[in-house]
Amino acid sequence: MNARFLALELRRAVRNGRYLIFTVVVPSVMFVLFVNLYGGGQGTFPNGLPVTTSLMMNMALFGVMAGPLSIGARIAVERGLGWQKQLRLTPLTGGGYLATKGALGMLVGLPGILLVCVIGAVEGVRMDAMHWVGVLATLWLGAIPFVLLGIVIGLVASPDGMQAITGLASMLFGLLGGIWIPADVAPDWLATLMKALPTFWVKQLTQAPFVSGVDVKQALLVIVLWVAGLSLVAVRRYRAQS
Amino acid sequence: MTETAVRAGAAVALSGVRKRFGEVRAVDGIDLVISPGEVVALLGPNGAGKSTTVDMLLGLSTPDGGAISVFGRSPREAVVAGQISAMLQSGALLDDATVAEAVGLIAALHRRPMPVARALEQAGIADLANRKCTKLSGGQKQRVRFALALVCEPDLLVLDEPTVAMDVETRRAFWQQMRAYTNTGRTVLFATHYLEEAEEYADRVVLMRSGRIVADGSVAQVRAAVSGRTLRAVVPGASDLDLPGVRSVERRGDRITLTCTDSDAAVRALLGRYPNAHDIEITALGLEDAFLALTGEDN
Repeated sequence: MNARFLALELRRAVRNGRYLIFTVVVPSVMFVLFVNLYGGGQGTFPNGLPVTTSLMMNMALFGVMAGPLSIGARIAVERGLGWQKQLRLTPLTGGGYLATKGALGMLVGLPGILLVCVIGAVEGVRMDAMHWVGVLATLWLGAIPFVLLGIVIGLVASPDGMQAITGLASMLFGLLGGIWIPADVAPDWLATLMKALPTFWVKQLTQAPFVSGVDVKQALLVIVLWVAGLSLVAVRRYRAQS
Repeated sequence: MTETAVRAGAAVALSGVRKRFGEVRAVDGIDLVISPGEVVALLGPNGAGKSTTVDMLLGLSTPDGGAISVFGRSPREAVVAGQISAMLQSGALLDDATVAEAVGLIAALHRRPMPVARALEQAGIADLANRKCTKLSGGQKQRVRFALALVCEPDLLVLDEPTVAMDVETRRAFWQQMRAYTNTGRTVLFATHYLEEAEEYADRVVLMRSGRIVADGSVAQVRAAVSGRTLRAVVPGASDLDLPGVRSVERRGDRITLTCTDSDAAVRALLGRYPNAHDIEITALGLEDAFLALTGEDN
């Protein structure tokens, strides 16, 4: 991968006002709002996790989804503009293009996660250093399926349909993935659907050190299947277009 | 030099190149060799296959048959090496980047780019460096595309309808910059609609029609080839019009129109064969007519 190209792309992505608001600011604002809604986050959820900790993880996960999806949206716009054709007149390969967009998706997800966690610490989330690192790493690596999802949407959607599809995807993966409502209160059929989404399992993994009964194996299996499936679709779709 | 030797040292060598889209033969078997340092105009009406040829030359699409080499390599290899570059007709610019950023992005991908500032200067847009790409006129956008193509310092520059969005003034300025570039010994292939551009800026003109090359030569040669005359006459009962000095024949009933390379020979032979031919009229062809004659469909 070309580091200079990645750096220039990163600057372009980060400068975008919409990116800053939706992927960095909104998750943190929602987090603060929810903490206040739950009475300052003093209590504990039935699974034993403190309310503030749980909300922090959920909102960080929300940020993890939003960043990569916005990068995917850029792919659709670049396709529409014909910029990809211009890129094909350079040494950049198709794989290099997708890898750059992937790395970009990973990088833009990071500030949102960090900000939510910093606010979490201020709001009274306490855990030892190793657990902090574990939670951050899990959240960040948990961005991988969403980075791929963003790329797939970017390769499939038209620039006009982009907004709608991105919105729908974040609804689907966020709401049904258990960011906004816990799977425990959902009816059986819905719970089954929720457990098919990567969001649910990334959330489970972040909670794993703190609550009992998380099926880490199944979590990894579902996430790996999503990653493999989305990678396959992305590569095939890209080849079909070039 | 033998043909093989010419091809080996060629900037571009196409042999028997074909490409079809469904039932349409967009490019129908073309052979073309361009030597380093030549400035070649690719002329032809819409749908002649110019853009398809250019796309294949750049490795953006693959020919169905035939072979293409650019400086002795495959088009893609030449692109990767930065030897060939292009100003695309449809190549758009990023809507959220400045001119300098867009050129910088492309420069970052090339192995040995020139400094971005120099590319902007050579394209005559140094003053637009910090302008957003969305806030440019059509002519300015074309110059940004020119800078994008220049930045890898290509040995062969391909331009697809480069001046299409420009007014006369801008067009002249653009070609001045282009000339400064070609004076450094670079090879240029440009597709165009404008005859005057081909006449004024190209060393050589290649005419395409319906996916084939119908004429290829220096500007002087093509002008000579097309500086024939048209012979019109009414010839009752004409059957055999295979006459000396005639390039093409068109007939509507008894009325015939002959496009001639040697109208004197043609008229002598015609009267010898058909003494009753009358209303004979011989007119000189303009370049425009000749271009139409060469690129128009046969009846």
